Amino acid sequence: MSAEDRIVFEDVSKFYGDVLGVNQVRVSIPPGITTLVGPNGSGKTTLMNLMTGLVQPSRGSIRVLGIPPSDPERLFSVLGYCTQFDSFPRGLTGYEFIYYSLRLHGMGAGRADELTARALERVSMSEAAHRRVASYSKGMRQRIKLAQAIAHQPAVLVLDEPLNGLDPMARSEAIALFRSLAAEGSYLVISSHILHEVDRISDQVVMLSNGYVVAEGQIQAVRGEMHQEHPLQILVRCNRPGALAGKLFAEDHVCDVRMHHDRRGLVVATRAPEVFYKLLGELVLEGAIDLESVAPADDDAHSVYEYLIGSGGAQ
Amino acid sequence: MESRPVIQLDGLVVRFGNRTILDNLNGSLSGRAIGLLGPNGAGKSTLINTLLGFFKPARGTARVFGHDVQTATRRVRGLTGYMPENDSFIARMSAVSFVTYMAELSGLPRDAALERAHEALFYVGLGESRYRKLEEYSAGMKQLAKLAQAIVHGPKLLFLDEPTNGLDPSARQRMIRLIRDIREKGDLNLILCSHLLRDVEETCEEVVILKQGRIVHYANLEEERLLNRKFIELETDGESEGFAEGLRGLGCECALTGERRLKMVLTGAVEIRDVYRIASERGVNIRRLNYKRDSLEDIFLKAMENGHGQWSAPAHAEVQNGRV
Amino acid sequence: MAVYKRGYEPYTGRLTPEWSRFLIIARHAYRGMFESRFLVSFLVVCFIYPVVAAVLVYLPHNAAAMAVFDVRKLFPVDGAFFLKFLSWQGTLAFLLTGFMGPGLVAVDLANNALPLYFCRPFSRAEYVVGKMAVLGFVLSAITWVPGLILFAFAAYLEGFAWFTGHLRFAFAVFVGSWLWIVALCLLALAISAWVKWRIAAGALLFGLFFVAAGFGQAINHSMNTDLGHMVNLASIIGAIWAWLLHESAPMPVANAWFSLSAAYAACYWLLRRKLRAYQVERA
Repeated sequence: MSAEDRIVFEDVSKFYGDVLGVNQVRVSIPPGITTLVGPNGSGKTTLMNLMTGLVQPSRGSIRVLGIPPSDPERLFSVLGYCTQFDSFPRGLTGYEFIYYSLRLHGMGAGRADELTARALERVSMSEAAHRRVASYSKGMRQRIKLAQAIAHQPAVLVLDEPLNGLDPMARSEAIALFRSLAAEGSYLVISSHILHEVDRISDQVVMLSNGYVVAEGQIQAVRGEMHQEHPLQILVRCNRPGALAGKLFAEDHVCDVRMHHDRRGLVVATRAPEVFYKLLGELVLEGAIDLESVAPADDDAHSVYEYLIGSGGAQ
Repeated sequence: MESRPVIQLDGLVVRFGNRTILDNLNGSLSGRAIGLLGPNGAGKSTLINTLLGFFKPARGTARVFGHDVQTATRRVRGLTGYMPENDSFIARMSAVSFVTYMAELSGLPRDAALERAHEALFYVGLGESRYRKLEEYSAGMKQLAKLAQAIVHGPKLLFLDEPTNGLDPSARQRMIRLIRDIREKGDLNLILCSHLLRDVEETCEEVVILKQGRIVHYANLEEERLLNRKFIELETDGESEGFAEGLRGLGCECALTGERRLKMVLTGAVEIRDVYRIASERGVNIRRLNYKRDSLEDIFLKAMENGHGQWSAPAHAEVQNGRV
Repeated sequence: MAVYKRGYEPYTGRLTPEWSRFLIIARHAYRGMFESRFLVSFLVVCFIYPVVAAVLVYLPHNAAAMAVFDVRKLFPVDGAFFLKFLSWQGTLAFLLTGFMGPGLVAVDLANNALPLYFCRPFSRAEYVVGKMAVLGFVLSAITWVPGLILFAFAAYLEGFAWFTGHLRFAFAVFVGSWLWIVALCLLALAISAWVKWRIAAGALLFGLFFVAAGFGQAINHSMNTDLGHMVNLASIIGAIWAWLLHESAPMPVANAWFSLSAAYAACYWLLRRKLRAYQVERA
């Protein structure tokens, strides 16, 4: 994969006077859904602004599919941006908002109309399109913003908290939309605070803290790299946790076994999860224990977040 | 469990001009922590506003702890605390002055108000920054300040409207933990409104789902958790097609939900041990195995499809061959 | 994570009496306000005229002063005297309202704090009265309070006969001041509720006064009438004061009453529209 196929940040730093935006970011974003995760003030919005050319880096360079963000004409033909801010030009209807932004791209009236209709269809806003944006609920405004970002069918979509304010159904629909766009080969860069959704939708994550990238890649892979300091914890529920614990203590790869607070399960910390699963399977087949459930307790986005970024959030 | 009902709705109708926002709501809620769900525009905020006495019902009544919200509005407001969805503060005041002010407006004498304001701010975690001006607070801190003013006067019923709005993951965890703590230790009832079903799952025992101004579903999450012991989710470390086939051979319905993920139904005399036997025969290791209960998301989506205005029985998840 | 020493506990103590709660607003508003040195200096300045007036009331009773010139003839303590007092203090009251008024409601509306007031056992009326009290106390302190003290002082010096004969001065000062205070309060609150930015609200208040005055003059001159006075706040209240004190007025007092009532009604209506607990849905 050459650099033309990715969004590349090469040693990028951005300072606002003395205040740090991001520092020495080296990231290469492939197609699919990439989620930016981090506390408020960690640099997510700065990264998005850098990607879309709204700010220029203090150092380093950025290329979006080979195009530098300092060339907005070329950039915005392949990139669509949906901000987190909830403001619109006054007096426009939903339809007009999308239509005129397409015309601004230099499209003819017919084509713009066609693409607007298609975009509205994709976010299920065709009916309400001819009412003023000011009369929309928060969820509807969010959908119109999304429609505007996807209308010109860009290859790259930068979405800042796109699910904010959406009710559960609209969330599912938006997530389905993202998945289908990703399946078509688009690059989606999404920022989100809702970690269990990050788990569900992301192909890879970029975790930021205080302006630095602390992790990049698939959640499971990232978790795998952290086994040394944070051995994988697995919750096993069975009828004889005590007996199981005894057998586990004999294993080399098991570094910690704790009784779950309801005393019907164990939390096992192991450096070799695959060996553990195999052993567990054998014990079940022997009849040594009656298993109720087994599941990793900390290989989701939330646990990785806790370990790498923790709760030292700004106060 | 609380025996006296917290909220009683009797044919409640609320209109804005000629639009009917709440359409003949009936029911009695008595849980400790009740989640209020629904799509945008379903009437959740309107219901809360009506219970707080901001809107007058066109017809019907609503009662909070037995007091009619129209005739005994002041009484009801004295018993409730409200954490609004949007930003709500007075810019030039410090957190302590603000919460003290609010406590005094709720009727607490000045010294008691000041004491409780400090306590409330420490409790929500703003102890270190309680002398700073509210305009300088971050989004998470503003949310916590809103929570502090909602609990400072010791209400019996707490309305929380999107309490984790705009919070980053750590702040959200903090808020959920606080809400759970308040629910357990405090002698009060909670009504939580949120679009994040996870938040509701983690804090509430009962859920009321509104759609277009009507109640379309009521679910007791505790009971839901005890049902559905037959649906299982699996994750393996290898190729799962063969494994799924083997499971079907046992007579269980089974479907692939991802590269290495499956859903299945334990039918008849089939046990977990048999599942492991099949796995070992097919040469796969099972990484994950757990019962899948109807998550709140399934319940919600089903309620949106059903959409009658009645209490409906909890629905069950369905697994059809080959379809997720 | 938060480490808390005490958990949440419900409140079981006594509550303050309901009628007194509007004063909470006044008390909290004063806390920030009187830290402003400008305001305190201005307040001090507001008492200069009453002191001077008191001296003028005293001088006729001082033999030494009377020997120099006939104070009683130069500065008689009559209706015109009190009218000048009201006019001067009334103007200062207007200026004070311009400084204190704009921030009153704007500060609550700017960040949507109203729902937090009204979700408590606290009505819109209590809110308005509380906010008006903020201005009301201070404006009273510079209008009818010194006015009545002045009257009492004069009565003490002149004797009981004078007191009973000129009781209407006391009545006029009291009622006239209150009419003006209520007008100023309503105007300030209404503007504060509609213009969120404090500085703009202040500018609007002053603008309203001076522009309306200018407009009124323009109408009078161009159309050769006196009706222009009806939009001039100063003329309106001046006419009512004059009528109360049996002095001559620049316009018929019926017009003045009409204008004043219209102003009250307009402000009341504006306040009702803007002070809501919930956010109005845009159509």
